[in-house]
Order: sequence, then structure tokens, then C-alpha cells
Amino acid sequence: MNTKEPIIRMENIVKVFPNVVANDGINFEIYPNEVHALLGENGAGKTTLMNILYGLYKPDSGNIYIYGKKVNIKNPLYAQKFGIGMVHQHFSLIPYFNVLENISIGLNELKINLNLEKVKKKLEEIMKKYGLLVDPEKRIEEMSVGEMQRVEILKLLFRGANVLILDEPTSALTPQEVDELFRSIRDLVKEGKSVVIITHKLYEVFQISDRITVLRKGKVTYKGLTSETTQEALVEAMIGKSVSFNDFSREQIKVEGSLRVEGLTLYGKGNVPIIKDVTFELKRGEILGIAAVAGNGEKELIDIIFGLIKQNSGKIILDGKEIQNKPVKNRIEMGLSFIPAERLTRGVAAGLALYYNSILHDHWSEPYIKHSIINEQEMRNFARKIIKSFEVVAKSEEVLAKQLSGGNLQKFIVGREMLRSSKYILAVNPTSGLDVSATQMVRQALVNMRNSGVGILLSSEDLDELVSVSDRIIVMYKGQIVGSFERHEFDKIKIGALMLGKNA
Amino acid sequence: MNVALIILIIETILIGMIPRAMPIFASALGETVDQSAGILNLGVEGIMLMGAITALLVDFFYHNPVLAFLVAGFVGLIFGAIHGILVISMKLDQTVIGTAIWFVGWGLSGVLYAATFGLSSSPPTVPTLPHIYIPYLTNIPFFGRFIFGEDPLVYILIGALIAVDYFLNHTKQGLNLRTVGHDPRVAEIMGVNPYLYRYAAVLFGGFMAGIGGAYITLGIVGSFYFDITAGMGFIAVALVYFGKWKPYRVFVGTLIFGAVYVFYFMMEDLYPKIPYEFYQMLPYIVTLIMILVIGTRAKPPASLAIPYIKGE
Repeated sequence: MNTKEPIIRMENIVKVFPNVVANDGINFEIYPNEVHALLGENGAGKTTLMNILYGLYKPDSGNIYIYGKKVNIKNPLYAQKFGIGMVHQHFSLIPYFNVLENISIGLNELKINLNLEKVKKKLEEIMKKYGLLVDPEKRIEEMSVGEMQRVEILKLLFRGANVLILDEPTSALTPQEVDELFRSIRDLVKEGKSVVIITHKLYEVFQISDRITVLRKGKVTYKGLTSETTQEALVEAMIGKSVSFNDFSREQIKVEGSLRVEGLTLYGKGNVPIIKDVTFELKRGEILGIAAVAGNGEKELIDIIFGLIKQNSGKIILDGKEIQNKPVKNRIEMGLSFIPAERLTRGVAAGLALYYNSILHDHWSEPYIKHSIINEQEMRNFARKIIKSFEVVAKSEEVLAKQLSGGNLQKFIVGREMLRSSKYILAVNPTSGLDVSATQMVRQALVNMRNSGVGILLSSEDLDELVSVSDRIIVMYKGQIVGSFERHEFDKIKIGALMLGKNA
Repeated sequence: MNVALIILIIETILIGMIPRAMPIFASALGETVDQSAGILNLGVEGIMLMGAITALLVDFFYHNPVLAFLVAGFVGLIFGAIHGILVISMKLDQTVIGTAIWFVGWGLSGVLYAATFGLSSSPPTVPTLPHIYIPYLTNIPFFGRFIFGEDPLVYILIGALIAVDYFLNHTKQGLNLRTVGHDPRVAEIMGVNPYLYRYAAVLFGGFMAGIGGAYITLGIVGSFYFDITAGMGFIAVALVYFGKWKPYRVFVGTLIFGAVYVFYFMMEDLYPKIPYEFYQMLPYIVTLIMILVIGTRAKPPASLAIPYIKGE
């Protein structure tokens, strides 16, 4: 394998953004018939490097060679000409168009007449060859994330891509879809393609890749074949220090009070129950995990408790007071906090500076507002405190929320909700999309809050996370609680089976 | 009322609505292309006014309606280009700039008129476009006149309708243009230059608004007076929403507007006691209702009125 000549060689690539060196002299090679994993934490420079290869960014220095010949990739069109295709995390698809139309955008093979039949014929051949099946007439907006991803890959194959770069391809997929994707990737490699997958998930690397390059802070820290490495070596290359998992110290303090939900029921369209007769109690100083496959009512449950959706029946009792008919503001004032899953749309006002965002949930109260006058200094102080104690990478508190990377923004939101004085926190997937050390930090913070007497209702897609931080776990399936486990009873296989509606 | 009268009323509406609809239709067709590429041009009203005064001046002094239309279209194109530079290259707010374009056209057209003809003199007149009458066919009862008795520009605009619809929905370039309207970033990644398509769209939109304005002076009124468009430019923008960015639907919308317009003329004769301003208001109210009922569920191009900034 080592005697192979690389198809693409990136040499000494340097890319500097204002305030950060994204790529600091990186060498990267892509070999034929291989899956090459580009591994690293958020902000390590993985996507930047691949965007340079795809012609979206211009490197400040360094060269790219394709089959030994130096090339200048000015824009994605050149990259496509050289057989390079990239699937971004945000898909490059028009939701309103169907598959054929999406593939035909800017297609050189068509002159003027939009001959979709011709496109369809060629697409069907490609679908058959690589086993990537989609309905060509289906609109993107009606598709699942997995289907959209297939369309993206087909689009690149249609244009003759030889090297496919996939940026965090599994981040929004269900486990079944991940299996399917990995099967397709293997088929592609068998048919002579090369695939680069950008990821920060260690176990995926071992599942799918042949070769690994690890980046840390813009530099290559590891390079080699997957078969010749170990998990520990990669972790060390990624974060530079070894981190321990599942090692949170728990202290029990006694605080009075609980958040109780009684017989909560919500009906959807056509009187189909979304949540059915849900009852549980969250005590202060406890983390209660909700384990559910997405779409089993767990999202609506949290929204109802916070007051964003109105229940059809049932009670919510916070420290002895019924709050099910109270507006959101009252609930916040009574000590409820919310860390939503959709960080950019629901977690912050994307176009506002961080210091404004730092006081959301408290934007009517002292010390930030006194006699209807904003105290900007207090806001800034609080924002700085969040940035400092949660290691948010941001130049200052004046940076706009949307300018932060996903991981940093999440650290900021989690920090905000944890540093404001709340009694209960509702958290939905608080570590999704975060890298190893940020994940560890957020989980540690959750446990710290718990130790200080805060009750945390944690809904997470990550069963490992639930098991590592929760005191109790309840399992939701089709809107009902189908199981409840104390910490000493945690069993991932049993919980997983209940999540899928099977009897444990 | 007997049947003959009803038939007469319908025939009158059919014949009358076409010229009333055309100025709005020409502008709305341009605006459809504009918006499909993601550009909201609220300045259509102003550009129509510029087209109207330009057409009058050229026809009054050179007695050449073809030249008058072309120059009016060209002036519209210049305005479209100005709009394009401001909102595409300089990325300024499309609503604000559109309003500014309207005001400029509104004021400048009045100034040009007053500077040329003075304020007190009786308004200058030019002949309106001749209609094409085809022997026998035009004499077919009921809809002979309606189909075979229009002026040449009507047929040209129908041709433009077919061409624009084919372009948008059945050509690669049309697909590229709609892609730019939905998501310019995707267009760029797919090798389509968003700026190029947006400029092409604003130039076409400006040209068509110029033609639409010219049609008011040369096709209907035969003269010009201050603020002659009376909001037709805004109706054109509104009807694009009604038509859900589909040229044929937009066309139908403008016909309905034209029909109501003719209807109010007839009602005014029948019930003269009601102030004529009330009748004048009718077409606009109907348009408003049409949009409220149908247009609210319309889904505009996803990047409509959002400037494209590379790399963001």
C-alpha cells in the first residue's frame, strides 16, 4: 500500500484568517482506492484544508499537485475538472428543486435545452453502478438527510468526480443511515474512487478508513495507516493530552424542591398522540436523562415544560406551584433554563453581539436592566465571564453570535445557562457537534451544576453521554415513558432495545 | 337584463382589458425574471414613469413609435443597471434602493415633462398604436376583435410571455437563474456566476418596465400627465406574488386587473352617483384581495431580496 503514488499531494499549505492560523504548513496526500480520514477537533483546520483543495479558499502559500503536476485550483469548477468533489456539512442543494434539476444546475453537458430525460438516463446508470438509489423526480425538501447526502454524492459522481471529500458526513444521520453510507463509501472505493472523510469521531475512523491524518491547531500531528495505529495514539494526536472518560465526581447535597410532570399529553394532527400521559419527577441536585430515538416526543416534552408548546392536558409543578398555564417568562423567573438543540436559530439571536446574547433569559431584570435602562457594562462583564470560564474562542464579547463556529457557540450557550442562577436546566443534545475536549467540558459542567443543587433534564441522542452523566434515565418511545433506570441499573443494551420499542 | 346585454358587457370587458393589462403585464414579466434571480425591484413604478415620458418625448419629436418603444426600453435598462450596481455589487438594501428608484423616476419624469412642454399648456398628444385587423377573422362575433384585433405590441408581449416561460422552466440557463434566486452560494459551487445572472435579470426587468411605461402613453392614453402610472408598477410587483413566479399565472393576474379596470368604467356610467374615485379604487382592492387569498401561501425564491456576499 505504501508504494502507491498519491493522486493528489498538498504541500506546505498555509492559510491565515484574521486572528487565527487555520493551516500552518500542512502536507496531505490522497491515494487511489482509499478512504482517508482527516481527523481533528473543531477548529483544527480540517474543513479549511479541504476547502482549499476544492477551490473555495486560496492558500496563502503552498502548492497542490495532481498526478505530480502542479495545479492552480481557482474555484470549485476547476476542482470538478480535476475530478475533485466535495460534500459540505450544509448541503449544496435547492430544496425546492427535484433531484434531476439539482444535478442539472450549471451542467456543462447541457447546452440550452434543459433535457432532464437525458440527465435521468445517465443518473440511473450511475445509481446502478454504485448502488446509491434515490427517486430522481423527488423534491429535496421531501427527503431525509441520508437521501440528500446520496443526492450530493450522485451529483459529484455525475460530474466525474474521482476524489470525494465528505465533511462530517455522519453528523446528522441515524445509525442505520450511517451504516448505509459506509457501505456506499466502500462500494465507491471498490469502483476506483478515493474518499476523504472529515470527522472528529474516533470510532468512525476505525470503522471506515484506510489511512489517517490528524490535525491539531492547523498542524499535522499524526499520519499513517489505520491498521497500524491505536485509539490512544489518535486521541493524543488530536488533543495533545490524554483525557479520561466517565470520570465525574458526584457529591450529594440535599436541596428541597422538584420539577414534576403529571399526566402530560399532547395531540398532533388528526388527534394522534405525540406525548401520552407522561409523569416523572426531577429533583434538584439530580440529572435525569431522557433516552429516545429522535421523533418520539422527547423534543415536544421539553418544549412543553419550558412553555413553548401548549399541552392538551396534564400538569407541570415547579417547586409546588402549577406552571402549566404560565407564560415562558414566568417559568424563567421561577428558575427554569433552556439549552435548545437548534443553537443558531433558537439558542441565540445570530446577528447580535455576544454580550447581548449573554443576557437572553435575563434581559428584563437587574443588574442588566435598571429602571428600563440597559447597563451595558454588566452585560459585557457577564459575557466576558462566560467566554473565559467556558474557553469560548472569540476575539471579544463584541463578536456576533453567528461568527462563532458551531462548537464555540454551543460552549457559549451552555455557559450562559449555567452561569445564570437557575434551579432547573432543560438541555437538549448539549454536546452534539462538539469535539472531544469541549464535550468533556460541557459534561463536567453539567455534573458540577448538579453537585451544586441544580436539577437537569437532559435529552440526548448520545446514549453514552446519558449513561456517563445521568443519575436516572427514562426511556421514551412513541410519546410514552417505557422504562426507567437508576444509575446502578444502567444497561445500554436494555435501554437501546426499549428506545426501539422492543421489550427488554 | 337580457342575454344580449350580458354578452355585450362581457365582450366589452374582453376587448377593453387587454390594453389595460399590458403595461402591468410587461413590467410584471420583467419583475418575474428579476425576482426569480433573487432581486426584488420595488422601483418598477419609477421606471415605468421614465418609460412613459421617454416614449412620449421620442414619439412627439420623431413620430416613430418603434423608436419610442426601443428608447423607453433602453432608459428602463439603464435604470435597471443602476439598481443592479446598487443592490448586486454594492449589496445595499433592496427595499430602500427600490423605493429610491421609484422616487427618482417619479420626480424626473415630471421634471422632464414640465421642462419640455411647460406646466400650463394643454397636454401634447401622440397617436396611439394602430390595431391589426385581419379580414374576416376580426369580424368573428364575440371574440374576433379580442383575439384578432389588438395592436402589434400585444402580440409581441404574448410572444415574450411564451419565451420567458420557456426560458425559466425549460432551459439550462433558466434553471441556473432560478438557482441563483434560491441560493446563490449553491449556484457558485455548481460553477454558475450569481452576479452575472442577477445583472442579466435586472437589465431585463428594467427594460420590460420601460416598455410597460411606454405602453401607457403610446398604447392607451396618447399623452402624458404627472404620475400617469398611478401605482401600476406596484400592482405589477404584487401580481408576481399572485402568480407565484410563474409567467402564465402572472399573465392571468394582469388580465383580471385589466378586466376589473374596464368594469369600473362601465359601472361608472351605470351608477354615476357614486364618486368616481371609488370606482378607480376597485382594481387595486381586487388585486389586494387576490393576493390575500392566493398570494399569502406563495413561496418566494429563498434568497429573494438578500444580497449575495461571496464566502459568507
